[in-house]
Amino acid sequence: MNGVTVELASSLAERQGPAPEPKDRLEEPVITAEEFSVFYGDNEAVKRVSLDVPPRRVTAIIGPSGCGKSTFLRAVNRMNDLIPGCRTEGLLALEGQDLNAPGVDVVTLRRVVGMVFQKPNPFPKSVFDNVAFGPRIHGVRGKPELTETVEVSLRRAGLWEEVADRLSHNAMALSGGQQQRLCIARALAVDPEILLMDEPASALDPRSTARIEDLIGELRADYTIVIVTHNMQQAARVSDLTAFLYEGRLVEFGPTDQLFTKPRQKQTEDYITGRFG
Amino acid sequence: MAGTSIPTEAGLLRRHLMLSRSASRLQRLGALAARGALLLVTCSSVFAVIFIFLFIFRDALPFFGLRGFAEVFTDTAWYPSAEPASFGALAIFFGSGIVTLGAVVVAVPLGVAAAVCLSDVLPFSVRQFAKPVIEMLAAIPSVAYGFFALVVLAPLLQEKGGVVLSVGACLAGAPLGLLAVVVLSDLLTSRLPDPSRPVVRLVLMGGLCAAGFYGLTQLVQLLLRLPIHSGTNALNVSVILGIMALPTVVSVSEDALHAVGRELREASYALGATRAETLVKVVIPAARSGILAAVVLGVMRAVGETMVVWMASGNAAQIPRPWFNVLEPIRTLTATIAGEMGEADHVTGSARYHVLFALALCLLLICFVCNLLGEWAVRRSKARLR
Amino acid sequence: MRLSTRKLLDRSFSGLGVFAILLMVGALLVLLAPIAARGSRAFVFRATVEHRQFMLEESGRGDHDAIDAEIRAAAEVRRKAYDMIARFEEELEAAGRSERRELRRSLREVKDHLAGLLGPAPGNARPVLLRDQYGQTRWDRALVGLGDFLYVTEYDYSDPSGMGRPLLVPRVDGFRGTSLEPLFAYVEQNLERMLRPRLTFYWRFLFDEGRDAHFFGGIWPAVLGTLYLTIGTMLIAAPVGIASAVYLAEFAGEGWLISLIRTCIGTLAGVPSIVFGLFGLAFFINTLGVSDSKSVLAGCLTLAVLVLPTVIRASEEAILAVPKTYKEASLSLGAGQGSTVLRVILPAALPGILTSVIISMGRAAGETAPIIFTAAVSLGRPLSLRQTLSQPTPALPWNIYNLCTEHEAVDQIRHVQYGMVLTLVLLVLLLNLAAILLRARLARRLAG
Repeated sequence: MNGVTVELASSLAERQGPAPEPKDRLEEPVITAEEFSVFYGDNEAVKRVSLDVPPRRVTAIIGPSGCGKSTFLRAVNRMNDLIPGCRTEGLLALEGQDLNAPGVDVVTLRRVVGMVFQKPNPFPKSVFDNVAFGPRIHGVRGKPELTETVEVSLRRAGLWEEVADRLSHNAMALSGGQQQRLCIARALAVDPEILLMDEPASALDPRSTARIEDLIGELRADYTIVIVTHNMQQAARVSDLTAFLYEGRLVEFGPTDQLFTKPRQKQTEDYITGRFG
Repeated sequence: MAGTSIPTEAGLLRRHLMLSRSASRLQRLGALAARGALLLVTCSSVFAVIFIFLFIFRDALPFFGLRGFAEVFTDTAWYPSAEPASFGALAIFFGSGIVTLGAVVVAVPLGVAAAVCLSDVLPFSVRQFAKPVIEMLAAIPSVAYGFFALVVLAPLLQEKGGVVLSVGACLAGAPLGLLAVVVLSDLLTSRLPDPSRPVVRLVLMGGLCAAGFYGLTQLVQLLLRLPIHSGTNALNVSVILGIMALPTVVSVSEDALHAVGRELREASYALGATRAETLVKVVIPAARSGILAAVVLGVMRAVGETMVVWMASGNAAQIPRPWFNVLEPIRTLTATIAGEMGEADHVTGSARYHVLFALALCLLLICFVCNLLGEWAVRRSKARLR
Repeated sequence: MRLSTRKLLDRSFSGLGVFAILLMVGALLVLLAPIAARGSRAFVFRATVEHRQFMLEESGRGDHDAIDAEIRAAAEVRRKAYDMIARFEEELEAAGRSERRELRRSLREVKDHLAGLLGPAPGNARPVLLRDQYGQTRWDRALVGLGDFLYVTEYDYSDPSGMGRPLLVPRVDGFRGTSLEPLFAYVEQNLERMLRPRLTFYWRFLFDEGRDAHFFGGIWPAVLGTLYLTIGTMLIAAPVGIASAVYLAEFAGEGWLISLIRTCIGTLAGVPSIVFGLFGLAFFINTLGVSDSKSVLAGCLTLAVLVLPTVIRASEEAILAVPKTYKEASLSLGAGQGSTVLRVILPAALPGILTSVIISMGRAAGETAPIIFTAAVSLGRPLSLRQTLSQPTPALPWNIYNLCTEHEAVDQIRHVQYGMVLTLVLLVLLLNLAAILLRARLARRLAG
């Protein structure tokens, strides 16, 4: 073992919460990909990926930039629909329901599958309005209900203490880390069951990053979380399972500690020991 | 509710992703209807263009039916209210042409120079100051320009025209002349053997300077003797139109120059070119489609302008003699339409009424062609720089 | 070429650019300076007692007693002049016949000029025209009138090829040796006491109606007309323009229809404004019949078509400038495309859209050619809101044109023309300033 893997091992050790039981294969997967590909025009960004994401675990997707990990993530709540010329092949399913089947309601899908983006992207509105945005869209009108949802969501995101007295302030005035936790609260407020996180801490300072990682650890009990990151320490710290994507292909997928300590593929080992990427 | 919904073990997804067929159809129909309505509103621009062409065409056609095509475009006798009337609009077309040419002569060199200056020469702080000035120039209503041309500039030209022109000639001529002298003497002596060069150059420069000075004094005397019968003439209008077209020319060419990347400039600087050489030989040629678009837009602004020419061009339907004598009053298409529509009989639809629509049709076609040309140029510049 | 020559060329090239920019700044100053300087004199000027008398009698403004006292004091000074004329008329009866006719004609001129300065002489019948019922209301005009009173303009035709050169001959020369001779010196020295000029801020210039072909009063009908036209235009153009921009920015893909729409928007932007006027006349009035003849409504519709491309382009730019992350965030929360546009994108683009609307308002306010045949008349009363549907209105741009080219006494109402131009330019520039400030605020907000 070289230095990098030692460091990764220590990252593994400092993970919060009890280590998950050895993965039981019988658990019904939430997200299933079978031979799933995404094309931008003629360019195949995700190539025939097959993997099962189990419920209430944190699954990390790692890999060098441009390996298709964000594209895969955005396919789960069909955010790729926004990109002209983007199409998919193969199966991507939520509990057996094909996401790309005709008649699937993206609006419902996106309520079920929340997303947190790389750069904190609060709306230029007040803190309250940011969190209340989703419930309002989905028809919640009563002030008491909204207030409760906002408070609960902010508490879950660990932001309540910091912003309780300035709910009416513009969210743009919060710090970057607070903004990102606000975005998480905003995603929680629509009551999703899956949370997608696209490098949620890459634009933040180390302290804010640590808070986000703690938060992910806390949310793991209630949500299925898929996180994309290029920071291997982060993946080692927060995730239960890790998938390694390289040039659009799934190279290896398995329990995090196993993937980082005893990678089965040469490519994975090269990547986590820093030989490329 | 977020707080209360801990997923149960069985059936993690409590919601079904599939819409029922009727709900799906309803939703899709609603979205389609909304989009359709929005598209219809968006198409109002298309309808506007179609209707403009249709209605101008409809009222212009009877004139060509009545009088044919030849008279309007070849004859210079414009007496629409005489008996028998004659509708020779050649002089009017000429008037529009000459003021547009004048405006281009004023606006294009200055506009492109200003754009170059804004994009490459001036420090950022000065640019921040210059932008609002350009916006203000563009925002001032044309009737205010016309008022200025008629009430301030025209009397000045009429009474002190010679002096104004001479001062202008000296201000522009002296520096340009000196520059030409230096460059010319440099070029002429570059072939000579080294030792004699400085001496010859000094002599040459002295001689050329004297010749230039003599030429300038002759020019000033000529200008001072010029007969200016009326301050409301083609020159007055051209200058004002040029200033009005400047903001358009500046902003469009600045965009074009901006689109030429840093790399090209740096490549030229790295070869030891000065800034002027880089700009003239590399940047401006690379941006020439965009600059062409700027010129075309400037032309459109000048051709289509009504109030300034109506107020300050003198409104005489004549081709000055010689044709380039810009100190004579002229008349343009726009001013003719504006001025005579009030007198023409709308309701009965006389030839007098229809001829104005025929002129408007010509104006519309000129601008349409210019517009297509401009768009083509913009598209080409974009394609080339990509 | 030598290096120094190349450097000289380089510097002169930069110089040309700087010169062009300075020229633009200079042009702006040269244009605005006379308008500001002389336009402000429509509002702030030395008003004579005649002005105050006019205001009191025609609009019931001012302190009745104070103005009466002033009029009496002025009349006191004036009486001496009228006495001189009366004495001279008595003297004239005694003069020889041919001499009498000549002098009588000259006297007629003197009395006319004096009436122009001071109003009708006491005891004369009240003149029909309002402008003849009062003397000069403005001291600057009074000084011009004094010049006409003191000097006769004669023409010197000694140069047979050119035009006659004007010569000023003192009017008093015609009355040497008569009892009228001292009158001229008396009026010259006492004009100030006869007219009692006082610096006055006539802010009501904006809100008064013009009286007797703008010889008196203000420009309210034109200001109101311009406001109607501007606001009405935006009420039509803004919804259509913003909806189009939303469609083009958010819903439209590529395709022949979309490129046709874009080409049409470009074409519309290039149509000369006078053609819009003809179109408005032929389409809105003669074909659709929105009103029997010119009306504010027809003008608004025409102007709306004119500003539509500006609104669409600028609004689309504002919408496209909204960060894509907002849209992604909203969609990821399960919002549909419609509610994303309405609740996230439009609010975020609002300042930019407002900027475009404000700039278009400035454009609509200043356009003249489209309203010549569709909305504008040279004289009229302020309209009520209901009348705008069927009645034409005076409007600042058209009345500026009208007053400085077609008015019967162009030179005598320069202050009104300048006042109108100043009002219009200020209106347009203030709108643009608001747009610039709004944009700066927007830039700061997006940066912070």
